[in-house]
Amino acid sequence: MISILLAIAVGSLFASGTYLILRRGQIKLILGLALLSHGVNLLLFGSGRLTEGRPPIFLDKNEYAETIASNLPADPLPQALILTAIVISFGITAFVIVLVNRRHTVTQTDYVHGEYVPLLREGDPFDFSDSSDSVQYDWLAYEIDEVYDSEDLLPGIPAMPVSERDESTAMEEDSYQWP
Amino acid sequence: MPELYLRLLNRILTPVLLLLALYLLFRGHNLPGGGFIAGLMAAAAFQLQILSRGHRSVRSTVGPYLHSGIGLGLAVAICAGFVGLLEGTFFKGIWFSLHLPFLGDLKLGTPVIFDLGVFLVVASVTTSYLLGLSRVSDTASLRLDETVSRIRYDSAGSNPAEASVEPGPRAES
Amino acid sequence: MAVSANLLAVPVAAPLLAAAFILLFARWGGRRRIRQQIALTSLALCLNLAAAAILFQATAGRGERFVLQLGDWSAPFGITFYGDGLSATLLLLTAIVALAVYPFAVATIDYHRARMGFHPLYLFLLMGVNGAFLSGDLFNLYVFFEVLLMASFVLLTIGAQPAQTNSGIRYVVLNLLASTIFLVAAGVAYGTLGTLNMAQIAERLPVASPAVQTVFAGLLLVSFGSKAPSLPLFFWLPSSYHTPPPAVTALFGGLLTKVGIYTLFRSFTLFFPELLVSWQPVLLTISGATMLVGALGALAQPGIRRVLSFHIISHVGFMLMGLAVAQSGNRLAVGFGLGAAVIYLCHHMIIKTALIMAGGAVELHMGSDRLVSIGGLVTRQPLLAFLFFMSAISLAGVPPFSGFVSKLSLLQITLDTRHWVVSGVSLFASLLTMINMMRLWRESFWGEYNRPSRVPVRILQSRIRQRLMLTPVAVLVLLSLALGIWGGPAITLSMRVAQQALDRQAYIEAVSPSSRISTADADLHLISSGTYLLVSPVAKSGTAAHAPPISRGSVR
Repeated sequence: MISILLAIAVGSLFASGTYLILRRGQIKLILGLALLSHGVNLLLFGSGRLTEGRPPIFLDKNEYAETIASNLPADPLPQALILTAIVISFGITAFVIVLVNRRHTVTQTDYVHGEYVPLLREGDPFDFSDSSDSVQYDWLAYEIDEVYDSEDLLPGIPAMPVSERDESTAMEEDSYQWP
Repeated sequence: MPELYLRLLNRILTPVLLLLALYLLFRGHNLPGGGFIAGLMAAAAFQLQILSRGHRSVRSTVGPYLHSGIGLGLAVAICAGFVGLLEGTFFKGIWFSLHLPFLGDLKLGTPVIFDLGVFLVVASVTTSYLLGLSRVSDTASLRLDETVSRIRYDSAGSNPAEASVEPGPRAES
Repeated sequence: MAVSANLLAVPVAAPLLAAAFILLFARWGGRRRIRQQIALTSLALCLNLAAAAILFQATAGRGERFVLQLGDWSAPFGITFYGDGLSATLLLLTAIVALAVYPFAVATIDYHRARMGFHPLYLFLLMGVNGAFLSGDLFNLYVFFEVLLMASFVLLTIGAQPAQTNSGIRYVVLNLLASTIFLVAAGVAYGTLGTLNMAQIAERLPVASPAVQTVFAGLLLVSFGSKAPSLPLFFWLPSSYHTPPPAVTALFGGLLTKVGIYTLFRSFTLFFPELLVSWQPVLLTISGATMLVGALGALAQPGIRRVLSFHIISHVGFMLMGLAVAQSGNRLAVGFGLGAAVIYLCHHMIIKTALIMAGGAVELHMGSDRLVSIGGLVTRQPLLAFLFFMSAISLAGVPPFSGFVSKLSLLQITLDTRHWVVSGVSLFASLLTMINMMRLWRESFWGEYNRPSRVPVRILQSRIRQRLMLTPVAVLVLLSLALGIWGGPAITLSMRVAQQALDRQAYIEAVSPSSRISTADADLHLISSGTYLLVSPVAKSGTAAHAPPISRGSVR
């Protein structure tokens, strides 16, 4: 009986998680991922046996003589697996929340090196139309920030002496804020 | 605005939570508890601090040590594994018993050291994550304020049809 | 020299320890701290390479197998690390690729990204990849998968530029789905077979019902196939690999997809050797379609890194083709297909990394990798042009290089087993690869010199950084050349690796020597076997005072 309930719970968690992931909004994406991971955790829970009153580790063997005789103590391993899976999904959910927040900030309100970022279509990270990747090569943005870019510097690419280069690119120490 | 009663409660609860975290950490080998749960408990204590005193003061207090805490925890956990090499296998548990005068026997061993490392990692990671998110929520509320004031300003203006337009780079350009 | 099994811990522990020390001592601060980070990372990479080389020499060279039971907990209870020829080969190549990409990364990664923790993340990624190659346990495989995914998420989005965050979400979601499916597979394995240890799964799976076998194999194929990535599930790769800095793309292209391929190799040779025969049409169809779609998709791409990321997919198809014919052979020995796939894997890891790094150098010089707008770099950068050309023709499979040897051996086995269609498709895909490579070279190096946008002069002006960028490419090209010239010994070695991987019984006995005794009552408990592991030692010992303790290893 309880296993049927468990199966229904796992199935509905998977279904709603999948549904939420297929929606457009980013918050729904996060919720969908969380629901999916909960579904998997329940599935792992069900992969041990669902028993009652049969501890896996016991000191008094007379009290649990029936368990020993039936040879079927509970299985503690799925709990350990679930704990690990929860830890992992905790970390990943944290990362995804920060990523979605950062994406929201970056694609709507932030400037990138002097130009407006074209607004990505809001809320739909799977939008493969041309506009979504129109800001290319922006991994160079940090480097180009201190640009002294002129055509005649490039062809032979003369090497600057090390000391000079380090001075020209020196950053202030520790202006970074703590997390 | 930090809440007053939360500040009062915080003075009592934070030490209790931290002590509870330590308790969970050391009973964790044979009983429910352990490094991860203790770390989360310690992070909960820090979150209480964030809620009651604001994230800036917490950041100035523990912020500089968080990344070192992660590194220290990882290093401690791995080094607990290296101790096991003395008995031939990586991560082999080595136990010894310590008799304390009032508290009874204390079993110590490399798994406890490992748990200590896990505790440090989890507490530091979770606290830095909470600190980061509290800053995010700060800026988010600022942005919300801007939006609200802007809509008010717009609707006070001549063209009420534009009042509902969400402000953003596209609307500006 | 006797090699201790504890050596297996080095590829995981060394990067982790170095990353921990970086976080502990050298996290914040100016350029001096970053230099310390670089020194520590290089040290860990060298240690990793040394350990991998010793392991490779002992396993592939002398045919040994290593099993490390962490903390001396015996097989099903503890964490098992297993090293044989296949994992040692991949460890060695991973170490080489990681060490080769690192100078390029040092030269091109900017100061801000370095401060955000690029170097420790590099080490965490390496640790995850190594752990996945070594893991002898389904759940630890999942954990290491997650470690490497987590590191790759952050490496992909580090710097948080708009295109990066956008592609980051696609990458994160699709990879998480694949991991979730893998976890479901682990749950199914535990629920039906009562174990997560790979050796015990291999032992009990033939006794299990066909439904269990099919479901398990299907789930594994879907999740590993999406990580590899093979045909229907590859979309996360080309939509994300062109956005991070080229050093990150080179690392990903060299390492990440190979984990999926390794796990496919391992699971199919260890768990379902008979499915390699009965599912052969499916696998061959997937592989043929993957290589065709990858090569055709690359034709349509506008930028260097996009073309190269589609080629990764195409090459995955080649390796899957080798896996599909691993259990068959007419005149050639059984296992030749897997050996050919292994040597193709080596070739691919080496030359793909070199090519992405060379393409990244082009991108730095041009400020863009859009093929229509760049051009004429050959007169300004003759050395770069030469290296790019060499790696391009090696990728396409021109004789003196490793591409020729690996493609020839794959073609030999498919022709030998009379799979004409897939052989033809692979030849066609190779032709398309050649066309693509020539297109890349023509567009970026020939023609009028044209530099469409601003470039990071600070990187390009420094002679040291130039050397750091080009030396690893040259080394990798030389490696590919060596692999091509000494193709015969290389094939012999990879055949030995393949035979070792196909020998399931040896794997099972190496990991759990006692398991043969316990199979006697395995059937008894198999139906309700969630507790089989715990029950049988209790029943046997008769004391029943304690169930055997479960290792709490990485759980807490």
